[in-house]
Amino acid sequence: MDLYALKNEFDQTGIMICFNGPFYHSIIEEIGTAVRNHLAAVNISQGALMDVFAVYIELTHNVRNYITLRGITRPEVASSIITIGRSSNGYEVSSGNIVLNKDAEMVCMRVDEVNAMTQDEVKSQYRKQMRSDVARGALGAGLGFLEIAKRSSEKIKYTAKDLNTTSKFLTLTAFV
Amino acid sequence: MEPVDIKATLSSPAINFDTDNNTLHIRGESYPENSFDFYEPIISWLKTSLQELSEITLDIAITYMNSSSTKCTLDIMDVLEDAHERGVKTCIIWRYDRENPRSYEMAEDFREEVTFSFEIAVLDT
Repeated sequence: MDLYALKNEFDQTGIMICFNGPFYHSIIEEIGTAVRNHLAAVNISQGALMDVFAVYIELTHNVRNYITLRGITRPEVASSIITIGRSSNGYEVSSGNIVLNKDAEMVCMRVDEVNAMTQDEVKSQYRKQMRSDVARGALGAGLGFLEIAKRSSEKIKYTAKDLNTTSKFLTLTAFV
Repeated sequence: MEPVDIKATLSSPAINFDTDNNTLHIRGESYPENSFDFYEPIISWLKTSLQELSEITLDIAITYMNSSSTKCTLDIMDVLEDAHERGVKTCIIWRYDRENPRSYEMAEDFREEVTFSFEIAVLDT
C-alpha cells in the first residue's frame, strides 16, 4: 500500500484526523480527545473547539445508533469512516457509512428540513423537540441535526452513493 | 433514601447527593453511549426521593452535553418543576464555563424552561 500517496491525499484535502473501520463508543471517546488536543494546540477559541467536538459527537453517535438500531453485525457493513479536517473557512467534520436506501432517503429529507431553517427557527425547533416525548427504545432524542445546525457556519452537506439495489454509502459533512 | 455516588468517566458526569445540604451535584461532561440508559436511574431516584424531601438544590456543572443528554437534563428539571408545584423548595445552580460562550447560552436556555429559582454562576476550574 502506498501510504505516502494516502498521506498526501489527506494533507491536500486538509484532513487532520481520520478513522476508518467498525467504531465503538470507546473509539469515539478516544478520537474525540485527540480532536480536542489537536485543536487546543492551534490558535482556536474554546467555543469553536467545542463546536467542532460537538458536531463530531453528534455525527459519530448517529452512525453508532444506526448500527445498533439496524442490528448491523457484519464488520464490512458496520465499518464506517469519520474525518476531521480544515476547510477554507474553518473546520469540517464528515461521517460516512452504509445505510439502507429508505434510511438514506429519510436522513436526507431531515437534513433538507433543517437546512431550510434560519438560526432562530433551529433554536425554536430545538426547544420544541426537547419537549416532545421520545419513543420507547429510541437511541436519540431527534435533536442531532438541530444540534449540528446550531453550531454550523454553513448548511449541512450530504451525498448518497448507490452501492447496490438495497443500500447506499451516505456521507454527511458539517462545517464549523 | 438510597445514596447516590456515580463516578465520572470521560463521557459521563459524576453524580452525587449531599444529604447534609440536600444537594444533587452533577459535574463533568455528558455524551454517554446511551444517555437515556445513563440518566434513567437518576430520574427514578429523584422522583422517589422527592416524595420525602422538603427542599432540594441541583448544582450542575456540565461544560459540554450532547443533544440526547440535553433532553435528559430537561427531564430532570421537569421532575424538579413538578416537586416545586407540590410545594418542595427547589433551586438550580448552573455553573458555566467562562471560556466557552455556548456554555452560558445553554444556561440561559435552560433557565427559560423552569419557573423556580435558577442561578447562573461561573464555574471555578
